[in-house]
Amino acid sequence: MKRYDAIIVGGGHNGLVTAAYLARAGRKTLVLERRPLVGGAAVTEEVFPGFKFSVYSYVVSLLRPEIIRDLDLPRHGLQILPLESTVVPLDNGDYLGSWADGDLTRRELARHSRKDAEAATLFGRLMHHMAMAVKPILAMVPPDPASLAPSDLRGMLRFAGHFRSLGAERFHALYKLMTMSSADYLDEWFEFDPLKATKSASGIIGTFLGPRSPGTAYVLLHHYMGEIDGAFRAWGFQKGGTGAISETIARAARSFGAEIRTDAAVERVLVKGGRATGVALASGEEIAAPIVVSGLDPRRTFTQLVDPGEMPGDVVEAISRFKFRGSSGKVNLALSRLPDLTCLPGAGPHLRGAISISPSLDYLERAYDDAKYGEFSRNPYMDIVIPSMIDPGMAPPGKHVMSIFVQYAPYALSGGWTDARREAFGDAVVNTLARHAPDIRSAIIGRQVLTPLDIERTTGLTEGNIFAGELALHQLFFFRPVPGWAKYRTPIKGYWQCGAGTHPGGGIMGASGRLAALEILRGSGA
Amino acid sequence: MTAPVDTIVIGAGVNGLTAAATLAKAGQRVLVLERGEAAGGQARNVEFAPGFRAGPLGLDAGWLPPPVARALGLRGMERTVPDLTVAVPAGPKEWLALSRDPSRAAEAIRRHSARDAEKWGAFAARVAKLSGFLEALYTIPPPDIDSSALADLLPLLGVARKLRGLGRADMVELLRTIPMSVQELLDDWFEGAALKAGVGAGGVRDIRQGPRSGGTAFVLLHHQVGAPAGAVGGRGFWTAGPDALITRLLEVARGSGVLIRSGAEVRQVVLRDDRSAGVVLASGEEIGSARVLSTADPARTLLGMVDPVWLDPEFRLAVSNIKFRGSSSKVLYALDALPELPGLPEPARSLLGTLSLTGTLDELERAADAAKYGAISDRLHIELQVPSLRWPELAPPGKHVMVAHLQWTPYQLRDRAWNEPGRAALGDGVTARISEVAPGFASRVRHREVLTPVDMEARYGLSEGAVTQGEMTLDQILFMRPVAGAARYATPIEGLYLGGAGSHPGSGIAGGPGWLAARQLLRDWHDRGAQG
Repeated sequence: MKRYDAIIVGGGHNGLVTAAYLARAGRKTLVLERRPLVGGAAVTEEVFPGFKFSVYSYVVSLLRPEIIRDLDLPRHGLQILPLESTVVPLDNGDYLGSWADGDLTRRELARHSRKDAEAATLFGRLMHHMAMAVKPILAMVPPDPASLAPSDLRGMLRFAGHFRSLGAERFHALYKLMTMSSADYLDEWFEFDPLKATKSASGIIGTFLGPRSPGTAYVLLHHYMGEIDGAFRAWGFQKGGTGAISETIARAARSFGAEIRTDAAVERVLVKGGRATGVALASGEEIAAPIVVSGLDPRRTFTQLVDPGEMPGDVVEAISRFKFRGSSGKVNLALSRLPDLTCLPGAGPHLRGAISISPSLDYLERAYDDAKYGEFSRNPYMDIVIPSMIDPGMAPPGKHVMSIFVQYAPYALSGGWTDARREAFGDAVVNTLARHAPDIRSAIIGRQVLTPLDIERTTGLTEGNIFAGELALHQLFFFRPVPGWAKYRTPIKGYWQCGAGTHPGGGIMGASGRLAALEILRGSGA
Repeated sequence: MTAPVDTIVIGAGVNGLTAAATLAKAGQRVLVLERGEAAGGQARNVEFAPGFRAGPLGLDAGWLPPPVARALGLRGMERTVPDLTVAVPAGPKEWLALSRDPSRAAEAIRRHSARDAEKWGAFAARVAKLSGFLEALYTIPPPDIDSSALADLLPLLGVARKLRGLGRADMVELLRTIPMSVQELLDDWFEGAALKAGVGAGGVRDIRQGPRSGGTAFVLLHHQVGAPAGAVGGRGFWTAGPDALITRLLEVARGSGVLIRSGAEVRQVVLRDDRSAGVVLASGEEIGSARVLSTADPARTLLGMVDPVWLDPEFRLAVSNIKFRGSSSKVLYALDALPELPGLPEPARSLLGTLSLTGTLDELERAADAAKYGAISDRLHIELQVPSLRWPELAPPGKHVMVAHLQWTPYQLRDRAWNEPGRAALGDGVTARISEVAPGFASRVRHREVLTPVDMEARYGLSEGAVTQGEMTLDQILFMRPVAGAARYATPIEGLYLGGAGSHPGSGIAGGPGWLAARQLLRDWHDRGAQG
């Protein structure tokens, strides 16, 4: 039986980051991935001949600069292409655009509301300052607030210190941001409804909440956090799709000596006397290691990879309360030609950015209303990008790929998801798009529809939640995934967690993977 | 003119009288100005039909913090908590009635779910523990988070520990619970729809959101403050009578020398040299006073009674951003006979508590959905009480008063107005809805009065008809109530204080804001040598 210092279960981007850091520190590290390719939800696949898609996760958000630096990712192929604009088709045939050029964006907004154009500058400045204060928290191991250990008390002080440094006015603004709905928060600043709807859309992604639900406002900050990194823009495409990012990290991990095995499904983690001793594969093979790290979501990590009997009852109970509630779907289209938007005809620069179907707050809220009672949204929120416009290699010459992120599609559809319901969901998406680009139907030569159930089946993400657990206030920081076990450890010695179900979670950020690796190295006397 | 006063208190409701009595007991000369024809505010029971009296106050009289009762020497303020605090429909002609006693409640729950019954005791204890922490928090001024977050939280923790035996782990549990939706909280514990709806209704009381909205778990805990463990919505009623609190407060205030003038509506707070100098009444009369403590809501006080030139525009903006969102209405019924509710266990006892007519959380959510778009749901959420069973003096012998509390009937309607036909339509809808569970109800109605948010605004001067004086949502509590920078009762205008439900600890805490505001005012007064 071959021996390793550490085994990573799951070759998603966080697992790969953890592997790279451990290998870099000299640990003999093995990554085991169930699927034939690494990346988890960050994979590029040729769904139709010649058409490549970032099947699930489709934009890069907040990939930590320290990871890019530490792992020397540009050398291994990291190349982020900026996603510069957003266009929102409006109900009256007009549109609301936002562009890379700030002046242009202000003029465009002023066309709809002079007041909002002025407010936007002040708003941006306030958000910028708050993002500055909050961002270091992304790189912090959450302290245990219930512990009296000196390191935890110091951690709590440091945590509190970030907020104190804001000063009263910004602290209050941040408090409101954490507790309000995005609709209410934006109502205090802006009047133009499509602007508020589009901004608040970022707050509902991956949650089972509507824009009027408290707790959705703080995600507004994420947008600004990316911008202040300076190294790259908030949102962008990796050349070759999101799978290429995973491969880049995998290459870095291998360069440090990590081994990566695909088609190697881990059946369970071996535990002896309260200690992890290795893993057993579905094939029956057993591999020993004193450290096992799960990149899977908390439910799988705590209750499926190990016998729940190995865990304290209250932890199992707390994990059973952790909310997944997948609420998003994805439609990937292979197109014979570019779509023609009624509000902005022709193949302009707007097709190089995002097209957001978010005409009003009521529109988004009604989309949520459908989902609350177990239906997919008849008129969904959609975030549409055409990666082949920026990276022509994604589609055959002259043809295009379109990625449509859709909300809401509840995992728990009433009556359950069937093939027919999946196609009906796909039809609702295409019909919605066709209202703004009537020629779209004749351009579609391939259509892949992914429901939360499909996402769960393929990627293993419980209930298809794209963030490995809802990013709700009570599931963040020292609550993620459960109080007392937010520091990447589990109650089983030598068994660790590194997935997006831990702080800070969500998006192709890699922060969970990095923090987990640093804790493992610290905990094992590196 | 009579002798000058030290402080003018605006409003003779529970908070105004509490503040006035607190100030007078400390040696101040105090004048209370009340716009209504008598003291009492929302707590006053008025005759709405010959021989029938009722008050539109919420579903319970609130929680009177013991330190307030002690400080004012309020005696005889015992509460009666009915044995069955709430009953919910659990099917056709079937009701789930919850006892204040957890083990008896579990018996009733067991008929619907054995699993839920097993968990009820633990749930009741947990809710009592967490709301007990709020109880501790509600007897002190809000923490001043701006200056030093942790330094302020630690004494709070100490208070909670001492009073309630709460540990750090409980504190973490509280922090985890309050941002949740009440639906998530209840789904974590229970499976029975009626049980969840009966408990969950407390999480959405007097707010515009439904039970799936974040922060509604906090609202539930808020409404459980002061209730015995396991008594859902069970803060009870004054044993001594419907007007007990107001009567006692008036006695104490008058006994301490407080002057009270009713029919005296304050139009403006007079400012001189950057500080308050008195008030002008609607009649034009001017009354001088170095300090003014207003229990009118923050918007009415700061935007309505203060000349805009005196306030920083950003502060004014913050006040105008307070979410009031009055969305509750009342229908007061004068009945010839008690309604008959088939299937209701022990009607005489169940009717001493509250009947909540919505049997599932989804129905609650759907009723709230309409309000988001400025409409009224076809299926209103209605809670019923029969005050005349508690206090027979409210109705002629053999007759009864029933109060229907409705949500969600938003102040701002998009495609119709709150006029007489709208009011009548609402009343008819409520009568019809009640008749579904109480056949023949309509024929027992001798008279009814409908109070919409617009009526509440007109009658009590509440902005948007919000009885909360500002929704009790997470962004509007503690140091954010009513707005950041005025949470410690003093406003940016020297000598002007806020002491109504719009200030910490908020609505439903009888006398809490008024008492804490008066104490702040007294500290400042003593700092100035208790002069003028």
